[in-house]
Amino acid sequence: MNEALFNKPTPFEVDLQAAFAARAKATGVQTAAFERFAKQGFPNRRIEGWKWSDFHGALRGLSPANDAEAHADIVTSDFAALNPLEFRIINGRIELPQGEAPEGLRYGVVEPVAAIPELERHAIATLNIAMTRKALGIEVGESVPPDRPILIRHINTNAASAFTQTLMRVSVNARARLIETYEGEGSGLYSHLFHMVVRDGAQFHRTVVHETGTDQIVNTVCAAKVDADAAFKQASLSTGSRLARHETLVHLWASAGSAEINSMALLCDDRHSDFTTQVVHKAPHCRTHQIHKGVARDHGRNVFQGKFEVEREAQKTDAKMTANALLLSDMAEANHKPELEIYADDVECAHGSTCGALDEDALFYLRQRGLDEAVARALLVEAFVGEVIDGMDDDRLGDVFRRKVADWLVYE
Amino acid sequence: MLKIENLHTTVGGNEILKGLSLDVPAGEVHAIMGPNGSGKSTLSYTIAGRDGYEATDGAVMLEGANILGLAPDARAAKGLFLSFQHPMEIPGVQTMTFIRTALNAQRRARGEADMSAADFIRLIREKAKLVGLDDAKLKRPFNVGFSGGEKKRMEMLQMAIFEPRFAIMDETDSGLDIDALKMVGEVVNALRGPGRGFLVITHYQRLLHYIKPDRVHVLADGRIVKSGAAGLAAELEKSGYEQFIEAA
Repeated sequence: MNEALFNKPTPFEVDLQAAFAARAKATGVQTAAFERFAKQGFPNRRIEGWKWSDFHGALRGLSPANDAEAHADIVTSDFAALNPLEFRIINGRIELPQGEAPEGLRYGVVEPVAAIPELERHAIATLNIAMTRKALGIEVGESVPPDRPILIRHINTNAASAFTQTLMRVSVNARARLIETYEGEGSGLYSHLFHMVVRDGAQFHRTVVHETGTDQIVNTVCAAKVDADAAFKQASLSTGSRLARHETLVHLWASAGSAEINSMALLCDDRHSDFTTQVVHKAPHCRTHQIHKGVARDHGRNVFQGKFEVEREAQKTDAKMTANALLLSDMAEANHKPELEIYADDVECAHGSTCGALDEDALFYLRQRGLDEAVARALLVEAFVGEVIDGMDDDRLGDVFRRKVADWLVYE
Repeated sequence: MLKIENLHTTVGGNEILKGLSLDVPAGEVHAIMGPNGSGKSTLSYTIAGRDGYEATDGAVMLEGANILGLAPDARAAKGLFLSFQHPMEIPGVQTMTFIRTALNAQRRARGEADMSAADFIRLIREKAKLVGLDDAKLKRPFNVGFSGGEKKRMEMLQMAIFEPRFAIMDETDSGLDIDALKMVGEVVNALRGPGRGFLVITHYQRLLHYIKPDRVHVLADGRIVKSGAAGLAAELEKSGYEQFIEAA
């Protein structure tokens, strides 16, 4: 490999190149991917889509050692009551559930994806393709009972960086519920690439909870292809970390597909959360609804970038995006970028974005009724994010979210 | 009961109340009437303790204790209730949950036990019927999408449930039809009695057909400029406020 792949590399990038060069089994595709990544380096704030999430700067002083000892005390998942089928990816190492797979469900450790055309220009996704050794593969068949969710716990506990992938397929008319949690006190870079297909008539529900320690730097990219009459539904909650960017890229490929992408960020100290999403409407009669709620106090930084692209063929598109930010301190930040790019002429598309403090009139009203200031503020914050929880179709998941909001508010 | 002595209040640096004194003995209902901008809402907010309404002088004594230094919720726990002129909509907060949380917060602050869920549901259903609110409304987010009249009914519902020691009704009659006015009268008259006081702030005499005040006061330019028996309201209806504006 060329010695000078990077232009002015950071120490992290130098170490990364050494780590990649030391690998015995990199494929030609991976070597090419690494070279493509090296030409760009980590995205920095001068790149439009990354101006509020500067990975280049944040990673400057880190070491990417990839094979650090995996050691983790694993606590019981907050979702254990749902009796999920539990997968763990601990410091990058995949652990499959014990015992036989339920009927209709196939999973295993598989070869990583070689290319995702729509992510070709995404530097970290390209690096992920170069670095990931094995992927978790899951296929959901029609006969799988939807009441038992699949849980993937991404647990990072050390200073090493890790690159992982999940490749998932939800079969025709199947229903699948996936919960992903990001946990642990790790302080390295964690990159996860999630490539999935929701086949005709299938329904896929994804719940994401990011609750890591303060120091973790995370970039996840979920690239989903949604077929005819299929539904992709996602609800996320993030309490942020040093840099936490969760990206969702949905292609509504065929007629009458739908996407619902809701998220909430609850940020304190100097935690950062970035929800970046893009939904591409490629066919007629598709529907996308999106709500983002960001609450920040102290120096918390809430980033939301949402984009709907409606192609010429995508007539009768129904797409709505709402992003609301609540700032609880003078130093908290909200950065929103809602975007619509519409090439079809018979569509209903709308977006709205607001940012403000707690409503003083409402606060006084509640206090006049006897609630002390902390309770009144908590009630208003719960109400603010409530729309995301109300949109969840499983009460048990909603209750977990509600508890997490209440836990967060205890320190408000 | 409620005794206000020489109250001065500034809002945003402007003095709005300029030495207001008023005494509402226990068991009485007093009405305050006055032209726009005379300080009626400032008076209700100052008594209730809203931020930004700074009492620079004087005292507001509720049952013998000055409440001016207390937080709004501490005043509520002492039994002070304000029926808002413009009640808030609070999206995302279910009406029943909110009223129960508030009731129990007040009870706890007074050292009383929480009301059980079953007792509360019985109570709120009974009072909802009294104020003419549908049960379905109680399950909705608080005041969201309610008409002006329904919001005022929601204020009366809370007053009936909290059974405050002293209630200030800030233009509760504005935007109400005859049936709703009658309902307000019924709620007040049912609560009226020894140990409880009311201050009814209004522009017009019509609410006072349903709630017979013991005293009527005229507020102009931040002071009480005239006080009299119930008949004063009818007099004002005829002659208007102009004489008082000039006098003030």
